[in-house]
Amino acid sequence: MERTRQRMRTGLGRLATLACALALVALTATAAGAADPDDDADDPLEGLNRSLYDVNRVLDGLLLKPAAMVYRGVLPEEVRDGVRNVLDNLKGPVILANDLMQGESTRAGVTLKRFAVNSTVGMLGVRDAASAEGLYRHDEDFGQTLAVWGIGGGPYLFLPLLGPTNPRDVTGMLVDNFVIDPWGHMARATDNDWFSYTRFGLDVLDTRARNIEALDDIERNQIDPYAFIRTTSRQRRASEILNGRPASGAR
Amino acid sequence: MRIRLLPRTLLVVAALLMPPLVEATAAAQTPRALIETLGDKAIKSLTGNVPRAEREQRFQTLLRDGFDVEAIGRFTLGRYWRQATPEQQAEYLKLFERFIVQAYAARFAEYTGEQFRVTGERPDGDVVLVQSEIFKAGAPPTKVEWRVAHNSAPKIVDVVVEGVSMAVTQRSEFAAVIQRSGGSVDGLLAALRSKTSG
Repeated sequence: MERTRQRMRTGLGRLATLACALALVALTATAAGAADPDDDADDPLEGLNRSLYDVNRVLDGLLLKPAAMVYRGVLPEEVRDGVRNVLDNLKGPVILANDLMQGESTRAGVTLKRFAVNSTVGMLGVRDAASAEGLYRHDEDFGQTLAVWGIGGGPYLFLPLLGPTNPRDVTGMLVDNFVIDPWGHMARATDNDWFSYTRFGLDVLDTRARNIEALDDIERNQIDPYAFIRTTSRQRRASEILNGRPASGAR
Repeated sequence: MRIRLLPRTLLVVAALLMPPLVEATAAAQTPRALIETLGDKAIKSLTGNVPRAEREQRFQTLLRDGFDVEAIGRFTLGRYWRQATPEQQAEYLKLFERFIVQAYAARFAEYTGEQFRVTGERPDGDVVLVQSEIFKAGAPPTKVEWRVAHNSAPKIVDVVVEGVSMAVTQRSEFAAVIQRSGGSVDGLLAALRSKTSG
């Protein structure tokens, strides 16, 4: 009884967050318009973002980075790769749904085959058997789907833990995780919320562990790491939305 | 074109025995050939166990040989190039090259046996876009595009890795530094000076 109420409350909380985020997107999507590609900054919330960047750096240095180093130090590479493969495989349904919503039937086929092969031959995703056959993984999310549908990103945001993003992509992430993802629904329905938390925790930890050198490198070698991450993450995102195809009318 | 990789020690020996890199490639060359030879040389001479100073020296030679460093430097300063005095421009170009050498040479140290191949080329306005891949068995390849201007000799003006342009990235970062120091190019020069003095 208590648990059910608890679950409903978090469910409602999530819906409320989702509604707020959607409203925020609706507000900002119209305001975003076509940004001048030469206006490199285009960062109306820069003051807030830079503060959050600093907050993130402190929290990261105190908690996440040390945890990621322990994680990487304790577990052998094969085990961490297995964990990564399982996490990636679990994302299959979300990627497939977004492939389809973007009308990318070939890529949807690859995602489907990968999920079938890796869930069986790959032992519930531990081994990425599909890549060995040339069926490589690609990412897809609802933020990209919204972009393909013509919705602008809104103002650039740097959020602790999430990193560089924008209101559209935050909305996309919430839809992916709380609406589309079947495992989350199953875990909630069977009172196995630990599964979702563990999965999220491992994803954050493993992602951070794989970027220790890269982020150290940026902090050490760039003169304005915040601006460097802002521009590279945006360029990368634009390329992901186009699935790596060249933009028409690129510079 | 596939480059078979030799064991690390052999690689280092080969790199040490290699003649100076400059002369051989100066003559008439196509953009595609430039990228092929450059990729080859970069893997041979910059990866593996090379002391930092030596790696930076070799990287600088490759940079000057294959890239139009001045054109890239001008582009990355963006609209501030014209606002800068000739002295500031000259100092900027020197610091810019030093900065690029330091920031990018180190990234070859983390190389773990990937191979490099040119996959295609197409004209794009007044440059040629040479497409290439860095790949390793069992992993999706990383796509790298080279923008090559072809005047008297082909010279690289930008490298685009998975959609991320190095020139656009540096221009954006430099603009942020200049804006944060009140629109003054001197702010950027000071930041570059302190970054490259180490």
